[in-house]
Amino acid sequence: MSREKGMEVITSPISTTQVDYLAERVFQECIRILGGLRRLALYGKLTWLPSLAEAAYILVLKEELFKTVREIARELGITEQTVRRILRADEEEVRRFIEGEVERVDEHKAGGIAKLAYRRVKKERGLFIREEEMEVLGVDWALRVLVRLRGADFPLSKEDLKKRLEGIRVKGKPIDEIAERMSFPIKSPTEVLRQIEEATR
Amino acid sequence: MSARGFYELGELEQASPKLFGVPTGTKLDEMFWKLERGEEGRFMRKPLGGIPYLSVINVTGVPDSGKSVLVEQFAIVQANNGYRVLFVTVESPANFLYTSMKTKAEYLGADFSKVTKNIIVIDASVNEEFRENPKALMDTMAYAIKEKQTNSVIIDSVTGLYEHKEIMARQIVRVFFNFLKRWKQTGIFVSQKRSSHDSDSADAAGGLAVAHIVDGTIVLDKKLIRTRWDVNLYKRPLGSVMRTIRIDGCRLTGHDTRPWVFEISPGGTIEILSPLEELI
Repeated sequence: MSREKGMEVITSPISTTQVDYLAERVFQECIRILGGLRRLALYGKLTWLPSLAEAAYILVLKEELFKTVREIARELGITEQTVRRILRADEEEVRRFIEGEVERVDEHKAGGIAKLAYRRVKKERGLFIREEEMEVLGVDWALRVLVRLRGADFPLSKEDLKKRLEGIRVKGKPIDEIAERMSFPIKSPTEVLRQIEEATR
Repeated sequence: MSARGFYELGELEQASPKLFGVPTGTKLDEMFWKLERGEEGRFMRKPLGGIPYLSVINVTGVPDSGKSVLVEQFAIVQANNGYRVLFVTVESPANFLYTSMKTKAEYLGADFSKVTKNIIVIDASVNEEFRENPKALMDTMAYAIKEKQTNSVIIDSVTGLYEHKEIMARQIVRVFFNFLKRWKQTGIFVSQKRSSHDSDSADAAGGLAVAHIVDGTIVLDKKLIRTRWDVNLYKRPLGSVMRTIRIDGCRLTGHDTRPWVFEISPGGTIEILSPLEELI
């Protein structure tokens, strides 16, 4: 920021949008949609990863920075045709393919998966907050709970919850005691957090 | 959005903006109006006193038609009245904008120290990231709006944000339009015309996309008096320039639809004179 003889002038961006970070999140979500890295390795599909990374980046450049097909192709060193195919991919068709509803799909698979992932990431996108900042706010327990809940099947029973969160204490109370005050089955991780918060007030 | 996903019209009463004008310091202020019932029960036009509050207006015209002059004048008038303005300059570097505003403010008799205090400038003309990354520009604008408590935003020009990709005009204008609505700002977008074809229409770079999205469009035009016919018709000397300004449309309020003749004063300000029909 500078002053042009008394007038306040902002000369460089004060940005909170991290395009690279968002592209990485979309890429991670793509892997999650496909069942995780282990599953990809198991089925010999690790070679999909570069295509998924490329598709994730293309999508973010298009949706967040409004880049044209030509600009994206130039920036990533790929053909315009590839960019177009990824951006035109029908994500619903690809979703049906992944879920086994159809046996084959003519769409660009990585493009479709990246679109599904982008949609999820945008929907879930919130404030990025560091672990130590969560501690300061007194909500670091939420992070520990969410980490333990990764890969859990919902709805979640009381036994499942106790097993997954074994040893965790929230606001000084053991999870076993907290679980007694919660209602089951629980539909989602958000619901788990909400109920723990209510049970420990 | 309500939890139900829809509203009954009556529920929107509290959220609906008041209809009043944000002065531009030109005769345009009398050209927007609202209807009020008079003593005899008949509807009467009452000048709004400016462009509608919280509207986003598109100012378009061929090169050197006076678009920047108009928006700079608006910024000075607003700042001099004590309202804070965020000026995003995409075309002219900030130091040139300063010089231009200083001359205008002096000519208009405005308190320049007040003007400089109340105008916050984002210089997107030099830093490429502002022009290439709309999200970065919007984050910076959000910072300025929040921290400096601005009331109005001017982008001169919005065309500069899709200079080499007019195909993206619609998307880019839409996100900036929504952004201003979200932040409750009265906004003016300057947009360029790339050809003199239909120079008095709302069509601009990026097609009619800009005009369709915004709340209203003001078109500035200029005509070179080059034939005997022009001289007789417009009663102006050969070789002179006749400038016109017209409110092409506004979805928020009533307005004068006639082209008005205006001049750019020696001090670089807009002086709207009379409707074109009266001249002829």
